[in-house]
Amino acid sequence: MKRNAVSKSLMLLTLFVLGLTSALGAQTLLGSGATFPAPAYTKMFDEYYKLTGVKVNYQAIGSSGGLKNIQDRVVDFGGTDSFIKDADFSKYPGQVVHIPTVIGAIVVTYNLPGSLKLRLTGDVVADIYLGKITKWNDKAITELNPGVKLPNLAIMPVYRSDGSGTTFNFTAYLSAVSAEWKSKVGNANSVSWPVGQGAAQNAGVAGVVKQTPGTIGYVELAYANQNNMAVAVIKNSSGNWIEPSLASTSAAAAGAFPADTRIVLVNTDAKEGYPISSLTWLVVYREQNYGNRSREQAEQLVKLLWWMIHDGQQYVTALDYAPLPAPAVKASEAIIKSITYNGQALIK
Amino acid sequence: MENNVFTGEYKRRKRKDIVFRLAILVPTGIVVSLLILILAQVVMNGSKSLNLDFFFQQQKPFGEVGGGVVQAIVGTIMVLVVAIVIALPVSLLAALYLYEHKGSKRANVLLDVVSTLQGIPSIVIGVVIYIWVVVPLKTFSAFAGGIALSIVMLPLMISMIKESLDMVPSSYLEAALALGVPRWRAVVEIIVPAAASGILEATGLGIARAAGETAPLIFTSFGNPFLSLNFMAPVSALPLVIYEYVKSPYDDWHQKAWGAALLLVLFVLSLNLLIGTRKKR
Repeated sequence: MKRNAVSKSLMLLTLFVLGLTSALGAQTLLGSGATFPAPAYTKMFDEYYKLTGVKVNYQAIGSSGGLKNIQDRVVDFGGTDSFIKDADFSKYPGQVVHIPTVIGAIVVTYNLPGSLKLRLTGDVVADIYLGKITKWNDKAITELNPGVKLPNLAIMPVYRSDGSGTTFNFTAYLSAVSAEWKSKVGNANSVSWPVGQGAAQNAGVAGVVKQTPGTIGYVELAYANQNNMAVAVIKNSSGNWIEPSLASTSAAAAGAFPADTRIVLVNTDAKEGYPISSLTWLVVYREQNYGNRSREQAEQLVKLLWWMIHDGQQYVTALDYAPLPAPAVKASEAIIKSITYNGQALIK
Repeated sequence: MENNVFTGEYKRRKRKDIVFRLAILVPTGIVVSLLILILAQVVMNGSKSLNLDFFFQQQKPFGEVGGGVVQAIVGTIMVLVVAIVIALPVSLLAALYLYEHKGSKRANVLLDVVSTLQGIPSIVIGVVIYIWVVVPLKTFSAFAGGIALSIVMLPLMISMIKESLDMVPSSYLEAALALGVPRWRAVVEIIVPAAASGILEATGLGIARAAGETAPLIFTSFGNPFLSLNFMAPVSALPLVIYEYVKSPYDDWHQKAWGAALLLVLFVLSLNLLIGTRKKR
């Protein structure tokens, strides 16, 4: 009697599961990767869900993690803010394309008593992360900030412990402005940091800096603004002091775009451009018929990409990201149109 | 004189007694107060975030205040269902093998394997299931998360079920065999039902053990800001939400992490209490 009931309920459960699985299968997309654009993406996908009913699950695990997931083909798209290098394309089981989504600013944020506004140069930031400047009232910092009363407090640099496109762009900038940084530490998604403390993801670095006096960290502007954190004004290559903002980030991205959109924006020549700006991309396979993907799934993905570079852009400015400039949108349209299923374009 | 020596000896013994009593009572007190302090902390911080939205709303975009953790509550139930559907039959059969072949070489090897399995860090189980299940199926899923959790549950459940089988008086089996009942029927219909409460207890503790695991889920069930009822798609879970929210810079998410922690603690605690009261009866 009892066992009968158990086996009956197990059967019912199985049927229930199978039913749900088939009913809900097509209405979801999965992505993972960069945490830099995560506030913008989660906002876009929330709106996209209200608009279309399609649930786009984006897991912010870091750029390196996203690339690994797309390489393993366990997600529909990977997110990264360090584009794949030519030499690395062969690691992917199919041809991948980059679709840029937004432009953001990597800000130098810090936690000091009182609401101090600091000016910093790339050189000084490099020296802090090299361990050469260890106190907040070091001459190198006070000289840049006349009139600001800096405390005699040890500096604790905070860096990303996970493989990160934000780290890639931050170290690209430091390598561009400091020869010592370039030779000693270099430029990659993860580097061996001379000093400091690690934290996972943009959210993690922001969390540590927000909670620990004396710390300095680098995060996307949205994270700093959402949490009312102090942000440094940085001197750009034209010698101007630039506050990270939507306008100064847009200015940094105002130049020409290559057809494949793979471009590093740091240390821009633009006079009003913020020097640590970065694009961020979604990476997908050009040919979508792989594994057991349905055409429907591929169509959903392409529709989402198209929406993100057009209508989706309206949601990013409120979070202080810069929308894609017209040349980047144009280049992206061509790339999205080149995505195929069985060799047939999915969108015209 | 003699009397003095006696009282001196007595005092020394008395002192010794007090010292040892303290040596035992202090650690006991520490353990008890630890539990009380942890519970108090979780209740104090977590109870504020428990409201209707918390139970019935999905996660909001990064940095937006509000929303809830319904996706994690449902996700945790889903991975636990998968885990127990796998772990219960496997551990019951393994325990039956151990019961039937007590002391044999193979049974001893199996016992060693079980205790070694218990020592494998749960993050390793997560990574292995990523390679075994997630990559071949080309998707993160509640299913993969459940498999990982079932491996976490197995060693505990096998040894607990084995113990409860061993506790059934051997006269039951002998009586059944004497009446001409085939051995397999005697085991299935006499021994297993007699150990039923122990098996139920093992199941409860297995669930309690797995419910709080984060590491096996990071690479398997993966997380999901949306409510998903699809077992072959990624789902959120309470430990994953706590892990993600605590690291974040958002005050609202810190608050929700405490709420999720309270929920998890209440769930595990009530499972333990339920088992405890059953045992006494």
